[in-house]
Amino acid sequence: MPVIPELLTRSGGQPAAAELERRLLAGETLLADSPTHVMQVVDVLESYGIVLDAYSRNLIYQAEQQFLNPFPVFKYLDGDHSPAKIWRHLNHDRINFEYAEYCMRAMLWHGTGGLDAYLDGQPFHQSCEAIIRCKTQRDPLLAVLNPLFPEFLPELIRTAATTHALGQFWRVMSDLFIDLAEAEHQGQLASVEAIVEFIKDGLVAAAANPITYQVSVAGQPFWILPPEAGLTFLVDVAVPYVEAVFLRGTPFLGTVSFNAQAQQISPDQRAFAYGALYADPLPTMGAGIPPSLLMQDMFRHLPERLHHWYQEQGRGEGDVRVKICMSFQKAMFCVTNAAIRGTFPHPLSTADAAERSANQAYAAAWASRLSQARTDCLDALDDAMPRLEVAVAGQA
Amino acid sequence: MLSLLLLIPFLGSLLLVLWPGQPAPGLMRKVAILVLCLQVAWSGAVLLAFDPLQGGLQLQETLPWIQGIGLTYSLAIDGLSLPLVLINGALSLVAVICTRDISQRPRVYFALLLLISAAVNGAFLAQNLLLFLLFYELELIPLWLLISVWGGAGKAMAATKFLIFTAVSGILILATFLALAVLRGSVDFSFLPVTSEQLGLSSQLSLLAMLLVGFGIKVPLVPFHSWLADAHTQASTPVSVLLAGVLLKLGTYGILRFGLGLFPEAWAVMAPWLAIWAAVSVLYGSLAAIAQRDMKRMVAYSSVGHMGSILLAAAAATPVSLLGAEFQMVSHGLISALLFLLVGIVYRKTGTRDLEVLRGLLNPERGLPFTGTLMILGVMASAGMPGMSGFISEFLVFRGAMSPFPTATLLCMVGSGLTAVYFLLLVNRVFFGRLAITPTAPDPLRHSRLDILLAPVAARETIPATALAMAVVVMGVVPALLGTLSESTTTAMARIPAIVQALASQGVG
Repeated sequence: MPVIPELLTRSGGQPAAAELERRLLAGETLLADSPTHVMQVVDVLESYGIVLDAYSRNLIYQAEQQFLNPFPVFKYLDGDHSPAKIWRHLNHDRINFEYAEYCMRAMLWHGTGGLDAYLDGQPFHQSCEAIIRCKTQRDPLLAVLNPLFPEFLPELIRTAATTHALGQFWRVMSDLFIDLAEAEHQGQLASVEAIVEFIKDGLVAAAANPITYQVSVAGQPFWILPPEAGLTFLVDVAVPYVEAVFLRGTPFLGTVSFNAQAQQISPDQRAFAYGALYADPLPTMGAGIPPSLLMQDMFRHLPERLHHWYQEQGRGEGDVRVKICMSFQKAMFCVTNAAIRGTFPHPLSTADAAERSANQAYAAAWASRLSQARTDCLDALDDAMPRLEVAVAGQA
Repeated sequence: MLSLLLLIPFLGSLLLVLWPGQPAPGLMRKVAILVLCLQVAWSGAVLLAFDPLQGGLQLQETLPWIQGIGLTYSLAIDGLSLPLVLINGALSLVAVICTRDISQRPRVYFALLLLISAAVNGAFLAQNLLLFLLFYELELIPLWLLISVWGGAGKAMAATKFLIFTAVSGILILATFLALAVLRGSVDFSFLPVTSEQLGLSSQLSLLAMLLVGFGIKVPLVPFHSWLADAHTQASTPVSVLLAGVLLKLGTYGILRFGLGLFPEAWAVMAPWLAIWAAVSVLYGSLAAIAQRDMKRMVAYSSVGHMGSILLAAAAATPVSLLGAEFQMVSHGLISALLFLLVGIVYRKTGTRDLEVLRGLLNPERGLPFTGTLMILGVMASAGMPGMSGFISEFLVFRGAMSPFPTATLLCMVGSGLTAVYFLLLVNRVFFGRLAITPTAPDPLRHSRLDILLAPVAARETIPATALAMAVVVMGVVPALLGTLSESTTTAMARIPAIVQALASQGVG
């Protein structure tokens, strides 16, 4: 007897913007509270923390050690040029640092917030001129390229600055996520609410961390993001990162019909909605789907508890990267939830009408954007999800 | 030697029926696989004993049976029947291997499959008209039972339709053979060509027309095709594999062996009309396939189109076109069996074959990516992409038929081009895009977010399809493997009408 297709599909609810706004203003979490949600979010963030640690180290290494290198062949090796490391790299026994670069480029391209504003300003141009002057005296190739394409090297320096800034941002996030896992292992966290609160506290604590970037050219130090620029962790890097990677993202082949000429992609970059909170997890591992790289990296470092749980779900390890992507999306809703909580203009408990109104407007703006996102992942469906072979046994 | 090709599956079938007690379905399947492995191995032995350079009949075996009615147990093999015997063994084995989870009367099911395999071998090897007819009819009832007992929801209607059509086919063929004997005035049912000396042209034309309708039902050719799509839709996957891969070939084999072989003179007269009939059949089959929304019906109608080109090749009766017909029979057998196997996998996993429902099955982790890959290979082969068997067969048919019947050939080429249209529709709808297995819901946003939980396809489930896909590619890359087997025979067959015409034009006959 054939299976009935409806048995093989499921989907969570899609709460309206008003409901999301209510949850935000009431201090409730967006993600439903359930034991499996806690386990998924904590464990996926633990593996994400390990991966972010590698991404962060590599991005900072690239920005500092491969700065203006026209042929950065060994940029993913973190300075370790041993034959064993090169062999592992060629054998693809490695972290997909390309994904980190993909996120960096998304940030650079969407260009929002204080970092982008600084990269377009006069002080940055002056730093660039000084660096290029020094660099071109020693590098004949760049000396030829620079007069021919005067915007080329400044753009490379912008890229390096974004790379470094993202490296610094992920350094903080990596530590935060690993601390979160540690706290959960010690029994300090047992609910989605506690997770969101933990992340919010971590973000608030790091909010004012300075973002700076200095390079050395021919032994001479140059500031690209100097301390006096006043760039800070939360406003100038975290918020643009959330905007570029969580919300806007980029349409890539395989997930959406990609015909920009037919206006299937909005010509207004601000209206983009292809980020991590909007992406469809199902095409994971398809050709040209960048998040696949991240899911593969997280799979390499998956905590045993979550790994075991995935083996009990659906196709076991056969679709593990899709399941990681789904859990990751739940975790990213928690991070977004924490970021919104931490950036409300006024305390939620305020009694002042004007402040409440400002909070409401802030929550409404977020809710309106999030209502189009993959909010169907917020419901707790996993507890009711049997292993597929059991679900369709005897029907196929 | 050839008798063993009949005896092995016959005895296997008998063994299954007489097996004591209530054996487990798995055991029955293993026994059937073992028997068919023996049959395939013995077909291989026949292949080794066969001399491809010799155009005539080989390994002949003759025993008088009922001489009073002209029935002789006479078997032989040539380059026309040997590839079909080989493909019969292989596809019967595939059909048994891909039968899983059979709970209803497994003993009878496997016995009937073996019986069909034996009967088909008998039909391909028989060198006596009555013996051929005996085997031709013998596969009818088992197949009817396989559809009506183990078929889908509308099996009764489809099986009855199949029975009526093919019974009429058998009656027409029997009537032709009997009429031939009566008109010849002897009870000689051997395969000797009829000449105008023995029989007037108008009688020959009448008999050939009856024969063509008889075998045209089996092929099937338009307008006798309507049983096929229903039978395929209701039959289980293994039965569809056998039906498309082997049983339809009985029709084309009959046309080539008896239409062309028995009535060469009448054939020469009728050939231009047959070419037009072929073109109509090819175009109709292809256009009907475009309109289908059931994957299985689409593949079934593609069979109507592709089998039509064999009639074109037979009508042209040039050495190249007849070799093309042989290639097309084998190639269509492999490709359609492959496609039915894959459609079967899709149906087993998703519960539907509806082109309006299925989407994105190539999804790498949640879909059926390997099945999709093989399907793309299969439809490319069916559409005649170079490097696969479909290209060789269609090229030979069109090359051979272009000179005698340019218009009909061009029309058939258009029909062949339409293969790409309907199979691209199939692949594009079912395998590309976002994974979905439900009709588009009123809320498209919600529909686009459904989480799909299909059971994975185990590697062992795709082994038969992978083997067929490899055979399709090997035949496309090294066509000489089949070409050397059949070329002498098909060239010799192409000479028959020419000789007769030459004799007639010189006034000797």
